[in-house]
Amino acid sequence: MLCAATLGSPVCADLSQQFELSFQGQFFPSLSLDSNDIQEQFFAGVEAEFISDFESDYLIGTFLPYGRIASAGGDMNHVDIRELNLLYTQDKWEGIVGISRVFWGVTESGHLVDIINQTDQLEGFDGEDKLGQTMIRISRLFDQNTVDLYVLPGFREREFLLSDQPLALPFPVSNDKPLYGADNEAQHVDFALRLSGYQGMADYGLSWFSGTSRDPEFIIQPSGAYRPRYPLIHQVGLDLQLTLDSWLWKLEAIHRTFESDTITDDFTAVIGGTEYTIYGLAAALFDLGLLAEWHGDNREDHTTVPMQNDLFTGMRASFSDTQSSEFLAGIFSDLDDGSNSVRVEASRRILDDARITLEAQSFVNVDSRNALSYLKSSDFVLLSLQLFF
Amino acid sequence: MKHTTAFLAFIAVLIPQTSHAETSDADARGLEIATQADERDRGWRFQSSDMEMILRNRAGKESRRKISTRQFEVEDDGDKTLSLFHEPRDVRGTAMLTFSHGLEPDDQWLYLPAIKRVKRISSRNRSGPFMGSEFAFEDLSSQELDKYQYRYLRDEACGRYQCYVIQRIPRYENSGYTRQIVWLDQEEFRSIKIEYYDRKNELLKTLDFSDYQEYPGGFWRADRMEMTNHQTGKSTTLLWFNYDFETPLKSGDFNKNALKRLL
Repeated sequence: MLCAATLGSPVCADLSQQFELSFQGQFFPSLSLDSNDIQEQFFAGVEAEFISDFESDYLIGTFLPYGRIASAGGDMNHVDIRELNLLYTQDKWEGIVGISRVFWGVTESGHLVDIINQTDQLEGFDGEDKLGQTMIRISRLFDQNTVDLYVLPGFREREFLLSDQPLALPFPVSNDKPLYGADNEAQHVDFALRLSGYQGMADYGLSWFSGTSRDPEFIIQPSGAYRPRYPLIHQVGLDLQLTLDSWLWKLEAIHRTFESDTITDDFTAVIGGTEYTIYGLAAALFDLGLLAEWHGDNREDHTTVPMQNDLFTGMRASFSDTQSSEFLAGIFSDLDDGSNSVRVEASRRILDDARITLEAQSFVNVDSRNALSYLKSSDFVLLSLQLFF
Repeated sequence: MKHTTAFLAFIAVLIPQTSHAETSDADARGLEIATQADERDRGWRFQSSDMEMILRNRAGKESRRKISTRQFEVEDDGDKTLSLFHEPRDVRGTAMLTFSHGLEPDDQWLYLPAIKRVKRISSRNRSGPFMGSEFAFEDLSSQELDKYQYRYLRDEACGRYQCYVIQRIPRYENSGYTRQIVWLDQEEFRSIKIEYYDRKNELLKTLDFSDYQEYPGGFWRADRMEMTNHQTGKSTTLLWFNYDFETPLKSGDFNKNALKRLL
C-alpha cells in the first residue's frame, strides 16, 4: 500500500476521505427572452469519496456518492451513487463487486468503444459524465495484457432533460416505463469481455459486449410522445493508439448488431485521427497539441446520427505555470452538409485548492436536416468553480 | 562571439593530438567515477517515498505539491516508477507510470481519476517543467549510466566533503542541456551539487543536495534538494519523507491496472 493520505506521518490512514464542492452557472445567450426557455440556471453539487484498504494488502473499498441541487429545482436536482464497491487484488487476479465506473478507449473528440456505463445526460453536455453501474468484474493480469470479464446486472435507463431545458431532445419523451428488447426487461444481465495491453509503442484493446443497449431508440406513441426502447445488442470494439515521439495515432471502431424486432439497422462506426504536440513554445511557457479526428458511421439516417462523416479539428495549449492553465478549442465540421459546432474551454487553478473553468459552445450554419439542428438555438456558456477538501 | 568561436576552432585544429590524448584520459576517469557511483546505488530492488515540492517564484510566493512514489529496479534497463499526486488537490488521485529505457524513449501512462481513464502519453517532453516546478522531467527521471558521456574535471572541496567534479553530456535526444557539472563526494559517491547548462551553454540551474540519510543496504538518500534557477530567480525545494526500502514491491505492482487502485 502507498501510505499517501498522511504525507509526513509514519502510519497509513485506514480511511481516506475527500470532498469536492462545485458551482456552475449555465448561460444560453441565443434563447429568446419572450419564450418560456431557460436563459440561465445555476447548480451546486457535492461529490464525496471514501476509500479504505481495511488495513489489508488485497482489499480496497470505495464509496463515491454525488448529489446536486439546481435553481430550476424538481427534475434537475440529482443524486447518484457513482461508486460503491469492493476491489480484491492479487498478483495475477483482480476482482470487483459493486457499483463502479469503467472507461475504454483512446480518442479525444468522441467515445465509441466505451459502453459499460450509462451516460449521465443531466450532467454536463459532453457525454463524459457516467452513472454508476452494478457489476462483477474478474480480471486476469498477464505481463503486458489484461483480460476482463464483466457481469452486468441492474440496467440503468437514461434520464432525459425536460423539454423546457436547453439542449433537450426536440420531441416530448414519454413518461411511461421504457420498452426493452429483453423479455426480462431491465433485469436482463449483460456481459462484456475485454482484452487490453501494450506492445512497444502500441496500446490496444479488443472488446465484446452482449446485452441491453445503453442508447435508446424511440417508438412514437399514439399520443405523439416518444417512448424510449432499449434493444438487445451485440457489439465488438477495437481501440488502438500508437505513440511515436510527438505523434499519437488513435483509432476506435465498433460494429453493433441488433437482435430481431428492432427499428435500428446494424452499423459500423469509426473514429480515427492524430494528435501532434509541439513542446516548450514561447520559452517553455506552453505545449501546443494539434488534433484531428474523423468520425464515420455507415447509418444512412442523418437526422438521428450526428456523426456520419464529420471532422474534428482542435488545439490544446497546456501551460507550465504554477496554476496549470489549460486552453482548448475545437470545431466539428459535417463534411456532407457543412454544419459546424465550435467549442472552447479554458481552466486554471485558483487559490491553492480550487479550479475555475469556462466552457462555451456555438453551433454555426447547422443544416436543418442535421441531427444537431434542434440544438441550433442553444449556444451555451458554462462557468464552473470546483473546491477541493 | 562569432570571432571567439572561430578562434577556438582554429586552436583546436592546431593541437589535435595532445587534446585528444588528455580528453580520452579524462573521459575514462569520468566514466570510472560515474560507474562507481552507479554501482553503489545498485541492488535496492524496490523503494517507496513521499515527497513535498515547494515552488517559489521570484517574489518568494510559494505553492506546494505532494507526491508519493514507488520504484522498482530493473536490471539492464531503466527502473519502473509509479507516482501518485495528492496536492494540489485538483489533481489528487492522478497517477503516472513510467518504464524508463535509458537512451530509448520511456513508456509512460497517466491515470485521470475523474474520468477513470488511463492514457498512454508521449515521453518526448524530457526538458519540460515537472508540475510547474524548476525540475524538468529529465532531472527527476531514472539516472542510467549510459544516458551521459562523462569527463573528469578536478578534485575539489565541497562543503564538509572532498568531491570529484565531473562533467556529463546527455546522450539521449531532446535534452534541455548541453552539459551538467556534478560534484560527487569521494567517500560515498553521493551527488552533492549539479549545475545545469542550457542549450546556449549558459548556467541555467543549480541543484544542491543535503541532509543525507543512510538506509539498510548502504543506500544514501538526500532528504532535501534545492533547485535554483539563475535565469528566472525561481526556485523549488524537494523534501523527502518515509523512505522505505523494506516493504516488498513486485514487478506486477507496476502496471496499468495498478494505476487505478493507488491510495
